[in-house]
Amino acid sequence: MNISKKLKENIETLKSILKDCDDIIYRKIEIGDKDKTKACLIFVDGLVDKSLISEYAIQVLLQCTESKDNMNINMIKTNFLDRISAESIAVHDVKEEEDLDKIVDEILVGETALLVDNCKKGLILSSRGWPTRGIAEPETETVVRGPRDGFGETMRFNTALVRRRIRDPKMKLKATKVGRRSKTDIAIVYIEDIVNEKILQEVMKRIDEIDIDSIGESSTLEALIEDDYLSPFPQIESTERPDAVAASLYEGRVGIIVDNTPFALIVPATLGTLFQSTEDYYSRWPITSVIRIIRIICAFLSVLAPALYIAISSFHPGLIPTVLTFYLAASRVNVPFPVVIEAFLMEITIEILRESGTRIAGPIGSTIGIVGGLIVGQAAVEAGIVSPLMIIIVAITTMASFALPNYQWASGLRICRFAFMVLAAVLGLYGIMLGVVILFAHFAKLKSFGVPFASPYSGLGIKEGDLKDTLIKAPLQRLRFRPKFTFPRDKKRM
Amino acid sequence: MQRNTISNQHIKALLVTTIIGVGMLSLPSELAMILENDGWIAIILAGLMLIPFLIIIDKLFSMFPNKSIFEIGREVMGPTIFGIILIIQAIYTIIVLAYTVRIFGEVIKVYILETTPIEVIIITMLLATAYLSRSKIEVLGRMAVMIYPIIIGLVVFLLAVTLPDMDYTNIFPIFNADYKQLPRGIMTAVFSYTGYEIIFLCYNYSDDNKNTLKYVLRGLIVVTCVYLIVFFTSLSSFGIYQLKREIWPSVAVVKEVNLPGYFLENLDGIMLAIWVIAIYASLTSIFYIGGAVLSNISKTKTHELFILPLIPIIYTVALLPDNLVQTNEIMARIISYAAIIARVILPIIIFISAIIRKRRSRA
Repeated sequence: MNISKKLKENIETLKSILKDCDDIIYRKIEIGDKDKTKACLIFVDGLVDKSLISEYAIQVLLQCTESKDNMNINMIKTNFLDRISAESIAVHDVKEEEDLDKIVDEILVGETALLVDNCKKGLILSSRGWPTRGIAEPETETVVRGPRDGFGETMRFNTALVRRRIRDPKMKLKATKVGRRSKTDIAIVYIEDIVNEKILQEVMKRIDEIDIDSIGESSTLEALIEDDYLSPFPQIESTERPDAVAASLYEGRVGIIVDNTPFALIVPATLGTLFQSTEDYYSRWPITSVIRIIRIICAFLSVLAPALYIAISSFHPGLIPTVLTFYLAASRVNVPFPVVIEAFLMEITIEILRESGTRIAGPIGSTIGIVGGLIVGQAAVEAGIVSPLMIIIVAITTMASFALPNYQWASGLRICRFAFMVLAAVLGLYGIMLGVVILFAHFAKLKSFGVPFASPYSGLGIKEGDLKDTLIKAPLQRLRFRPKFTFPRDKKRM
Repeated sequence: MQRNTISNQHIKALLVTTIIGVGMLSLPSELAMILENDGWIAIILAGLMLIPFLIIIDKLFSMFPNKSIFEIGREVMGPTIFGIILIIQAIYTIIVLAYTVRIFGEVIKVYILETTPIEVIIITMLLATAYLSRSKIEVLGRMAVMIYPIIIGLVVFLLAVTLPDMDYTNIFPIFNADYKQLPRGIMTAVFSYTGYEIIFLCYNYSDDNKNTLKYVLRGLIVVTCVYLIVFFTSLSSFGIYQLKREIWPSVAVVKEVNLPGYFLENLDGIMLAIWVIAIYASLTSIFYIGGAVLSNISKTKTHELFILPLIPIIYTVALLPDNLVQTNEIMARIISYAAIIARVILPIIIFISAIIRKRRSRA
């Protein structure tokens, strides 16, 4: 819908489109001292920087007089808007707009529209300014050493945090909007001469194809663009650390920053990258190498530990040393349930404890911790409901699960644990191995934006030395080339 | 990014993981029964025998670049004859699958799950296999690369735990066997190389066909070495007389091991648990071959359709023999004869007719 010449009509239309939106403010003013021209500033209360609008737009416009300008009145009439934007308005970004619908969109984003009588154009003043949380430390990915800034809820600030780390004109930032109603801002970030074209195009294509009314959080976007939505495992990495995004861009991956959430997405993700944490690159290499291997052991433990306990104690007591078998049997004498029930009881208790601890933070959270710890730790054993060995197994499993750097990935494995426990209860060690091969097969099947998910363990990049930065971490001097799995165009790092 | 293609490394891993399977457990005693202490000669000769075939396959695929074995076969032999060959191949594949899964079930039942009925073990394994073999060859290749170090680790583990208790004098006397038995020994050893047919299906998908032969030969060397290690560890631990009495000597060897200060007591359970992965890899590859062959007989686009219907057939065939002895005698014999057709005659016929076809077209 095009803008009309009469200011009154324009305001009427705007009011009809934005009917019952009481947070919209229409500030009517008159410009000039002799030939008074009517104008109106329209903006959403709360989304705009009020001091900016009142000081640099309203005040300046009110003081603008023809006599001071010493200009031909007709010229003012014809080029009125150009003149105001060039000489009067002191806002950093101003653009013209003729389409009323687009003006509405801009107003809802947090810009201010300036409509002037007898003008076939409107001015959009950049005035976004809403209450933000400021830069805080990322809560889910803390580091001992390393930068402490984390993403916030505003996309523009987040892109700035990434840009600060990559001062390269080749770092590109493409903005789009997704969601018919939410019109969520999304920025696709990449380094042009490193990223592989095909991965980038795949990302663009998938985001373009999205047709949904709203994007709640980056997880919504993730669910819409990932390769296999039935899988329990994430095929896209999410992080709230700008340094993680920057480092990934240098590896030739693509970052997707979504408005309204501190979690940015990184694609493609592989088994190798899911075991990496940003702090790996801030610590010394032997320590990181050991930690990486421990993480892989943890992944296995978090899936297999209770299942192995079930299998060994109910199917193959002969597998473990005789002394341990006797101890195991003795500790279970008072337990009235079969091992499977015992294991499920404890695992579910831990899940409840974890869930309640996550939702309720602060002082009540610690209460839950103490209560849960007491119940799980001591009372259950003393009451003879579970055996002490089971407690140890459950504790190890839980700790192992939280030792993994990627929470989503750890959660996927945690869910698999229950399937493994059932398998172990039915088919013993054979059942566990069956589960392991199916899990491996699932990894082999998965892809992340055309990149095999199981890389580098499934072959891609093994010869090029990708294992040096996934299974272990070699010293920086030995990591001269970017990882192969992203098929980077510029392979050399140093 | 290359889609639908696999690297030579994947082909090598596929070859190794497909071949190493049930043969690993029973080969030493089977060879010891025929060739006494000189069973290793049969292993090496069987490995060497395969080299010309691999070279033939390489030549064949370089004559018809970017064509699958099915296209080549149909082109050079005509659809009817090739159709018959495919049907034989399909039956052979089903029997191999049935045999493998039956032996697998027997082993698991003896060593890990004494009380579980073998039917359950077989059907669960087949279902798990179907999950992977429904995918494309590149997925199988990726899985093979993931499994490859596990299988090598298994052999290293076998070697490491048996090394302290070995009696090397058991290997001698060498070159003392009845060499009239050598062909039979080689037949038995060749039987353990079942599954190398997977090469037919993945050769043309390689992204670097010039070097594929090199990788395939390396894979063959790895397999031969694995079999040699298995043979020598069993022989030197048991001695020839006891070795002949064991059905699955490689497991029995590990069962004997009892190292002090070990967290795990019965290592055979652990070894067999890992061995499940090896069997899974060979089953999926052969399953894939079966599906691919059937889809080419019926001219469907994907092989996926045939995987699930194959399960009940394999299951029934696998349970036909009453016991292990029958399984080994009947099925193994059928496979040995069918193997000659499927693996020895087939490539040669295709190759010769391909050469004739080329000559004719030139003239």
